[in-house]
Amino acid sequence: MAQPEKKKKPQTQGLRIGVYVCHCGLNIGGVVDCRAVAEYAASLPDVTLAVDSMYTCSDPGQEQIKADILEHDLNRVVVASCTPRLHEPTFRAAVGEAGLNSYLLEMANIREHCSWVHLHDKEAATAKAKDLVRMAVARARLLAPQTEIVVPVTRRALVLGGGVAGIQASLDLANAGYKVGLVERSGSIGGRMAQIDKTFPTMDCSICILAPKMSEVGRHRNIELMTLSELESVEGYVGNFKVKVRQRPRYVTDKCTSCGDCVAECPQLAPNDFDAGLSTRRGIYIPFAQAVPSTYLIDMDMCLNKEGIVACDKCYQACQHNCIDFSQKDEIHHLEVGAIIVATGMDVYDPTPLTEFGYRKFPNVITSLEFERLINAGGPSSGRLIRPSDGRSPEKVAFLQCIGSRSFRSNVYCSSICCMNTIKDVLLIKEHWPETEVSVHYIDIRAYGKGFEELFRRARMEGVQFIRGLPGEIIENYKTRNLTLIGEDTLQGTIYRKEADMVVLSVGVEPRSDSEVIQRMLNLSQAADGFLLEAHPKLRPVDTPVSGVFLAGCVEGPKDIRESVTQASAAASRANILMAQGQVSVEAITARVNEDLCTGCGLCAAVCPFKSIRLEGEGKDKKAVVIEASCAGCGTCAAECPFGAIEQNHFTDRQILSQVQAATEAEPEKLIVAFCCNWCSYAGADFAGVSRMQYPAAVRIIRTMCSGRVSTKFIGEAFRRGAAVVLVSGCHIGDCHYINANVQTEKRVQKLWKRMEKGGLDPNRLQLAWISAAEGNLFAARIAEAAQIVAKVTPAEIERSREFFKPKKKGMTLERNMEAHRT
Amino acid sequence: MREIWKHIEPEHLFFCYECSRCTGSCPAAMVLDTPGPRRILVSCLYSGPNAVTGDESLWYCTTCHVCEDRCPQELHIVELLTALMNVAAARGNIPDKVRAVVDKIARTGRSVVTYRVDEERIRFGLSPLSQINVEEVEALAARTGLFEKVKSRP
Amino acid sequence: MKYSLFTGCFIPARYPGFEAATREVLRLLDVELADLDFSCCPPTTNVKLVNYDTWLALAARNLCLSEEQGLNILSICNGCTATLTEANKKLKEKPGQRRKVNHLLKDFGHRFEGTIQVHHLGPLLNRTIGLEAIRERVVRPLKGLRIAAHYGCHYFRPPRVMFPHSLTASASYVPVGVDNIVSALGGDPIQYSRKFLCCGSVLGANIGGDDTYGVVWEKLQHMADREAEAIVVPCPSCFNQFEMGQVMAKRRKKIKFNLPVFYITELVALAFGLDPERFGLTEHTIKTKNFLDKIA
Repeated sequence: MAQPEKKKKPQTQGLRIGVYVCHCGLNIGGVVDCRAVAEYAASLPDVTLAVDSMYTCSDPGQEQIKADILEHDLNRVVVASCTPRLHEPTFRAAVGEAGLNSYLLEMANIREHCSWVHLHDKEAATAKAKDLVRMAVARARLLAPQTEIVVPVTRRALVLGGGVAGIQASLDLANAGYKVGLVERSGSIGGRMAQIDKTFPTMDCSICILAPKMSEVGRHRNIELMTLSELESVEGYVGNFKVKVRQRPRYVTDKCTSCGDCVAECPQLAPNDFDAGLSTRRGIYIPFAQAVPSTYLIDMDMCLNKEGIVACDKCYQACQHNCIDFSQKDEIHHLEVGAIIVATGMDVYDPTPLTEFGYRKFPNVITSLEFERLINAGGPSSGRLIRPSDGRSPEKVAFLQCIGSRSFRSNVYCSSICCMNTIKDVLLIKEHWPETEVSVHYIDIRAYGKGFEELFRRARMEGVQFIRGLPGEIIENYKTRNLTLIGEDTLQGTIYRKEADMVVLSVGVEPRSDSEVIQRMLNLSQAADGFLLEAHPKLRPVDTPVSGVFLAGCVEGPKDIRESVTQASAAASRANILMAQGQVSVEAITARVNEDLCTGCGLCAAVCPFKSIRLEGEGKDKKAVVIEASCAGCGTCAAECPFGAIEQNHFTDRQILSQVQAATEAEPEKLIVAFCCNWCSYAGADFAGVSRMQYPAAVRIIRTMCSGRVSTKFIGEAFRRGAAVVLVSGCHIGDCHYINANVQTEKRVQKLWKRMEKGGLDPNRLQLAWISAAEGNLFAARIAEAAQIVAKVTPAEIERSREFFKPKKKGMTLERNMEAHRT
Repeated sequence: MREIWKHIEPEHLFFCYECSRCTGSCPAAMVLDTPGPRRILVSCLYSGPNAVTGDESLWYCTTCHVCEDRCPQELHIVELLTALMNVAAARGNIPDKVRAVVDKIARTGRSVVTYRVDEERIRFGLSPLSQINVEEVEALAARTGLFEKVKSRP
Repeated sequence: MKYSLFTGCFIPARYPGFEAATREVLRLLDVELADLDFSCCPPTTNVKLVNYDTWLALAARNLCLSEEQGLNILSICNGCTATLTEANKKLKEKPGQRRKVNHLLKDFGHRFEGTIQVHHLGPLLNRTIGLEAIRERVVRPLKGLRIAAHYGCHYFRPPRVMFPHSLTASASYVPVGVDNIVSALGGDPIQYSRKFLCCGSVLGANIGGDDTYGVVWEKLQHMADREAEAIVVPCPSCFNQFEMGQVMAKRRKKIKFNLPVFYITELVALAFGLDPERFGLTEHTIKTKNFLDKIA
């Protein structure tokens, strides 16, 4: 631990910076020489004290920071440790508790962006860590105290999706006293759990345990249940969302007693989706017996009546309660909510493309969802397990696992529930029809949860044969419609030809085919597998990167009922925390206008994705005004303003420029200066670190909230200082966390490319990359590519770019200089 | 090991989780006594190519590619087996029939006997067999090291 | 349309009737053919397994011969098509391998430029010439006879080489070309189990022994189960295997399948009204008389 330095070094009046270099056990300390970094930090101007500690985020670690602030009168704190996306709130709180403004904290990411990605080059990692600390100290010098504004929070919640996760979340919030709007696309809540027969490992009847919750939702005075409804638009920000929900009409009024007289009269038939297409329903129907609401509904796509023209009124005539109303129309609900929980569920994989299994060619090859419906007493065969080809009971049933999962031919991930679902299914068969021969063909059996291993054991005790080795193909005897599975039993090392008269494909789950719609509306991120992305996989599993929006259930990834319910309650709790106080503080990174410099040109207002800048006043008095409450803090306005009249708090031009200058202090011609946006590319770089993807150590990352903040000034400064390559990275177009701010980034970079070309510079030295939070591999690849470019850049080229980006006239700002160069 | 890896990327092969859809589809494994593509691949990965290049059953592969078609990890199994057979050949482990036909192709430019073929062809109104530049074929075979392989014995 | 005809080794020497039928059928379909001095393709089932470099060099040589005439190749055997297509693709896409091969070919005055495509009879008849053109010329339709099409592995696998433009996410390409041709000729192309299983001829060629016929016996059984009346193949090796398979089935297992086997252009020639004797259609090992009588 370096003692507070008393040697003579340059000292800015009043600045006393404390630097903490974290070992994080061996995570950082095993690669970076933290002591050396601390000693180096101690040598920097204005650093009063620099220490290295084992676990800075731990209680003792935080206590030390607080004690040092008081004892050494520190007025800036730099913590060099893990990613700020993880612990910035932790250290801000600690600093705040010691009486220092929380915004006087800066972090250097020497773990995800350093020790974890340069595991085999300790020297380079240590040198890089020193640079990152120097950059953090440079910025810390220029930090100013901020006050967070407080916005009121609407104490109402919106839950999207009426499956068990949506139901649980709605009940939790409603019981806590909040008003909840529950939006469900189909005619009834219940989701997948309503379709299942029994649940594992308890073998409970699924709908029996779900139905009470469903009816509680239906009659809860705090829950407004909107079925046949979909989210149409979302505006606003955390605590203050304005939502439009479109509700399609049932054409049946509340007077419906569910008697069912109408159904017998309806001439129209459609496949029954609830029965996985195994049975039909009429044009007027109830989704299933226990539906909530229990009012019937008319499927207008099937109905013979359209556009108000009544050609068939058989149901109307049959109804003795006069509750059919063809004149109903779409209804738009306008809701103001403080929190939104997304629980829109999943789809099941369709195995038709895997032609070797004969699904849809061989009638007796079915999916596990179809099996659920067959074996369900409320299903198309009243619970008798029958072969679709002839209605007989099967004598030999084979289950195939991992269909549509763990494969590059379909979905790469494991769907987590299919093994246990099959084990439950085989036990059901053995329970009802013990003479049936049952075999399960698997690669691995995943029985990871509570009670799962015991259920697996029960299945084996019942004589179910577990054969390790999926069949290469299934062939059918076209006369009997029996099937033969041809494969290798890997544990015995023999080829088998297994006869079966029914085959169940244990299909995986996948994201809903239209999950992109919700994702775009709410500005959420998708993981590589298409499920919606949580804010942090371990510590914030139900939060999303968007404040105020939470996830619950299979929309976030394959999981069973217990995990869905757990997540739903977690999401409800997070929403509760948000709404409980009735107000929430907004991070103090909003924009502010310097009226003296503002000319009222309106460029900032034009680019603001949230329409949070207004122009007020007339003529020479026209000035831009920021609506702070709805400013999301992207900083695009600050990058666009040619007069430097609008600044982003806590991400000022001077602060960012100081980071650029500190990064390029030594050997800039070997460096890549990378600007990364907090939500996507910085997170992607974090993910590369978490996954231990290795890449060259030549990169120095500067974080902005949005790539839109990266002004031409910063890029120019990096080149002026001699950087070899500059990388500007952000979210993919269309996925920008600030709606479309990255479009401005793209325009800026394209303009700069043209100018560089005209100026005889290699435009390749300015790289533009769209990298999502899940694309760690892409980030690593881009850095590797950039390092190749660095190796080829000549000293002459570096000199040329230094000259090109120098302000030509004294007193001329870099921005105006760019304008002058424009031909 | 390196001689195999110049033909295929080894990291990808480690994706194999032994589902055995390959062996389950293999026509050779159906009728002949062979460990099948799965066991050959896994032995090669964990015990090295030497563990498999001495086994004649390596040559049972018909290159039908059904294994590749069905492999969930999209492994290029036939490419691996081809590379292994190339190595086995360098060590003299070639089945006699294969050795004979390869030698014939390299020396005559054809894989079949052409004795009295032209008489048959005339019967069907066809012109005699084309003249092949046998010197070119033989020279190319020689320069690519074929004859060392077919001449060598284990 | 003009192509250089790649006959391979097997057809011109062992089944010249196929070659004659192919030439006549293509003549009737207005396809011009050039005959170049191609050598053995060479096969992926022996030369490539022994020495990849030799395989690539000899295949490149054949490709160069056609490139030098500015003609695309029309190949009439599955194996040759697979070899030439794969070699063509590898040489076009991998500059390192191309450089090595061109270095070898230089001394013989050849240089691979990557200017031609390789076509197989099946897709040619199906797509390039088109089924309409075939249907028009049918004068002796196949009377709805149940014909089992066997594609053979090298017709379409691996799809990333043989049919790269038709790849789906699951990458399991299901060919329909030969069935379409059978339909166009008036036959009834049947479905049967394990339609895309290998015929196993390579096992016999490389290893030998009666057990190797087990694969083709299973296929014949599935075809017989679905009451096939004939078999059609686009490859001479598969042709041989289906005939010999039936001979061995009679000899070893006392089972008579009596399924006449036809090479694809033999069927087309029949349907076009040409004289079966002219192409040796009455000389097959497995008697074709019943089938020919049915469509007379």
